[in-house]
Amino acid sequence: MYRFDKQPTKHKLISIGQAAELIGVSIDTLRRWDKAGQLLSIRSGSRGHRFYNLSDIEQLTQDQYNIARDWVELPQGIEPEAEVYCKTRDVFQVRLEKFQLKLSQELPLSTVSLVTAIAGEIGNNSFDHNLGNWPDITGIFFSYSMRSKSVVLADRGQGILTTLKRVKPELLNAQKALRAAFTQTISGRFPEARGNGLKFVRQVVINNPFTLRFQTEDAYLNLKQYDKDVIVKRANSFIRGCFAKIGF
Amino acid sequence: MIIQLKKFGITLVSRPSGKEAWLAFQPVLKEISSEEEIIVDFADVVVLTPSWADEFLTPLYSRFNRRVKLVNADNPSVQASLAILGRHS
Repeated sequence: MYRFDKQPTKHKLISIGQAAELIGVSIDTLRRWDKAGQLLSIRSGSRGHRFYNLSDIEQLTQDQYNIARDWVELPQGIEPEAEVYCKTRDVFQVRLEKFQLKLSQELPLSTVSLVTAIAGEIGNNSFDHNLGNWPDITGIFFSYSMRSKSVVLADRGQGILTTLKRVKPELLNAQKALRAAFTQTISGRFPEARGNGLKFVRQVVINNPFTLRFQTEDAYLNLKQYDKDVIVKRANSFIRGCFAKIGF
Repeated sequence: MIIQLKKFGITLVSRPSGKEAWLAFQPVLKEISSEEEIIVDFADVVVLTPSWADEFLTPLYSRFNRRVKLVNADNPSVQASLAILGRHS
């Protein structure tokens, strides 16, 4: 998994508590990763406390984005690392609440409330629309970084086009499907008359200092505060299911 | 009667948990008199999504219509969810 060469001491060292905070995992998890050789610490001081190179940790938080991207682009699915893998909705709920708690230690209630809500809506959307129909890997990738103030959610589900085409057969490609999902109230779960989830996400993002990148298949969009239009573009890469990155 | 949503949790996010809350509350709702107001109290709820709200509030409005009143709904995600569902406190 994660393994970094030890750097010269000129690099800034941070405590295990600070490292855990930045990555968004517990101190116990870092100790476990250290013992398993997955993310090695630097022992220092008379008591041999664990320290980490700040640059390693920054690299790791950036890696979460790339790891999620790689995972949804794989032709054949494999289960992600346990730390970022929510196989069931119950696991996702527990981790979402933990994320909410971490946010609440640093940010105002309005940010905690809205960021958790949109992350929760996107993650649960994946479960709602793929229940019983996961093409290969069940569940979602969910990770976050308090340092880069971002959340990554991804699934290897059917993607928005396949889901919405059941109720709107006129949708011909992923670009049109993605735009419809962010601008119209439609649901792929016929006969239920619902489908506000991504519209809600859009409203929250454009009314707050947040950003969103969302991709399904080869269609993607970027949203930020004050954006009036939803501009969907064609991506160079194809992903299975959905990929979202929220900045806050 | 007053429904205190915090008794279902303070992170009200998924459809299944909204549906479960609605089903669990049925015995209580059966005891309501025909004139009684249904006050939904959002106090202490930190996170609400339209998915959860749609499973609980939408059927509540369908059944009791104008007798439903929303209070302590100033939390930002509560406001945003109610707005997208076309409900206002």
